[in-house]
Amino acid sequence: MYRFNFQPVFDNLDMLAHGAWLTVQLSSLAMAIGLVVSVLGAVAKTSGIKPLRWIVDAYVEVIRNTPFLIQIFFIFFGLPALGISMSHNTAALVALVVNVGAYGTEIIRAGIESIPQGQIEAGRALALSPVQIFRHVVLKPALRNIYPSLTSQFIYLMLTSSVVSVISATDLAAAGADLNARTFASFEIYLVLTVLYFLLALGFSTLFATLRRVFFDYPAGR
Amino acid sequence: MTLTRRLFAALAATTLLAAPALATELQAVRDAGTIRVGMLVDFPPFGIQDASGTPDGYDADVAKALAEHLGVEAQIVPVTGPNRIPYLLSGQVDVLVASLGITAERAERVDFSIPYAGIAIGVYGGTDVAVAGPEDLDGKSIAVARASTQDTGVTEVAPEGTEIRRFDDDATAVQALMSGQVQTIGLSNVVFSQISGVAGDRFDKKFDLSSQVQGIAVAPDSDALLEEINAFVTAAREDGRLDTIHEKWLGEPLPDFVKTDQ
Repeated sequence: MYRFNFQPVFDNLDMLAHGAWLTVQLSSLAMAIGLVVSVLGAVAKTSGIKPLRWIVDAYVEVIRNTPFLIQIFFIFFGLPALGISMSHNTAALVALVVNVGAYGTEIIRAGIESIPQGQIEAGRALALSPVQIFRHVVLKPALRNIYPSLTSQFIYLMLTSSVVSVISATDLAAAGADLNARTFASFEIYLVLTVLYFLLALGFSTLFATLRRVFFDYPAGR
Repeated sequence: MTLTRRLFAALAATTLLAAPALATELQAVRDAGTIRVGMLVDFPPFGIQDASGTPDGYDADVAKALAEHLGVEAQIVPVTGPNRIPYLLSGQVDVLVASLGITAERAERVDFSIPYAGIAIGVYGGTDVAVAGPEDLDGKSIAVARASTQDTGVTEVAPEGTEIRRFDDDATAVQALMSGQVQTIGLSNVVFSQISGVAGDRFDKKFDLSSQVQGIAVAPDSDALLEEINAFVTAAREDGRLDTIHEKWLGEPLPDFVKTDQ
């Protein structure tokens, strides 16, 4: 029988808490900035301006067809060669934003394209300005339509952030790996890590559900 | 997993203890005309396999020089880290030139020659970074491979203000140093000799953390053979043969901590 010994974990809870806090910070910031990137990307993609569309297309294709691990290595190890040097935690954030931005662009583009032309025309008939039309008639219903896919992408982003320990960022996974290296209580540590990540994901889902009720809880008309 | 592994180790240990270790007679080796040398082939640059699958590396060259000294042919037998001592004790090889670090535990099971190689862990960094000792690491960043000997060594001596950055392996830590993401690195001289081949003289050694010497091992009671091996190592250390081989594989002569170790 394997004898569980959670003492090393309890003795170093502050270390794990510190890591978990960085994971929360990294993921929330990446979600917020990533949302902005995604909206801008989706607007550019659905706009009629061709060069802009090409640039965004290239960005989305490159990011969605390469592994995140390679992207983060490129940002942390490759960019300094071009004179762009970032600290490990900043590089982790940038990599996460760049990654989620590409997926978010596609998701939000799908949302924007799901808005019937008639709805936009209705907006025009009500003499709304183009900005008002975009905000209230296109973007908000679009976000509402794709809300589940977008938020699951965000949760996935939070889980993906466990990869950033490869560039020595001090997130939850890194804290676990360091603790494991010191105490060799692998099974206990990864069990606790699993629970912590699960709780974090649950926390984010609850937050997203609340946000949905606040912003999108109105009857859908078709 | 731990349990099975422990069980296995215990089983292996009892089997080995029960079976008397087979001593190797020098005369038997001379009569056979070949010496069977156990060597790692997955431990560059000490033990590797060349393009055609033939064992090569520092250990292979030392093995050949040893055979030449004894006036016999070297027959290299690839072994692995965990099975190298069992190979020797069960008489399947005559000697191990297998990067076997000399430790007290191992010395109870096998007889070691005087050191023929060594691995030193040290702190390296850019030539423009001023670090002379552990206290100078204060306020500087240092990369290490997580849970490695370097990690333990650096963590032990680094002052409070040191930013220890842990990477998954040496390769990533080296990458961080090369791309300027960290100022210094904890590394073995073996890996450093490989990167200085790529990075030229951008980096140099700041200070040593620890060192581990390696010996040629024989089964217990193979005294005549061991004596002859010691004579070989002493001669090869003095006449520069080991320096030449070391230079070839590690880019520098045999380190002093190996030469002075008896």
